[in-house]
Amino acid sequence: MADLSIAVRLVGDVAVVLPAGFINAHTVRDFEEALENLVQDGRYTILLNCQDLNYISSAGLGAIMGLIETVREHGGDILLSNLQDNVFAIFDTLGFTQLYRVFADEDQALAAALPGRKG
Amino acid sequence: MDHAQFRLIIPSQTRYLNLVTGLAKRASLVAGLDDSTAAKVSIAVDEAVTNVILHAYGGEGEHSVELELRFTEQALEIHILHSGKGMQSDQMVLPDPKEYIKHPRKGGLGLLLMSRFMDEVQFKADEASGRNECCLIKKIS
Repeated sequence: MADLSIAVRLVGDVAVVLPAGFINAHTVRDFEEALENLVQDGRYTILLNCQDLNYISSAGLGAIMGLIETVREHGGDILLSNLQDNVFAIFDTLGFTQLYRVFADEDQALAAALPGRKG
Repeated sequence: MDHAQFRLIIPSQTRYLNLVTGLAKRASLVAGLDDSTAAKVSIAVDEAVTNVILHAYGGEGEHSVELELRFTEQALEIHILHSGKGMQSDQMVLPDPKEYIKHPRKGGLGLLLMSRFMDEVQFKADEASGRNECCLIKKIS
């Protein structure tokens, strides 16, 4: 199995990104490219559904940090959902849960990102 | 036996990070740490080894990184030894998370994760061997 695979699907104006596996210094470029491609396509609201993300190191956090200002300047945001305990611990330890909106599951995140959406 | 240790030597290539972090996690469980703590130790080891590969060796993949795991009754010690550019403990400047959030930027968080997730982080230089070391210690409570 590859260290990291990334699936992307669109729900309205929200790009839902599902990284599966490990984001570290070896795999981060793939993750970064996936996010950059979305921004280049004008997708500024990005939901990272982390249900299958086992692990993220500071390299991966840097990739997210590198885009947050750009997406917010365009009226978008980066949201997080379905964080496993150890992934949540990384975000929380660094205080990033104040910087990003974190949701228990994808439906809650989409409801926040798309207020008019019907489940 | 109240003290056991073993060593693993890997090429200075990020493709081996997953192997190293998997080992660190399993070693933590063997040492008696719980799942949550073991995950944190593996992150700290990822950060330390990544620093060696990318910064001490400048991304050059033909060098070696040696990991020595020491199990004692009091702690799990993970020593990461290399011959690249060294760093001393007094050079370890941790970013302020509050400032970081106000002014987001890439990088600078690895050391912070290491220091938050381990009980001790030490950087040393061995002049005799010319090697440098990062020592991560997690106490067994």
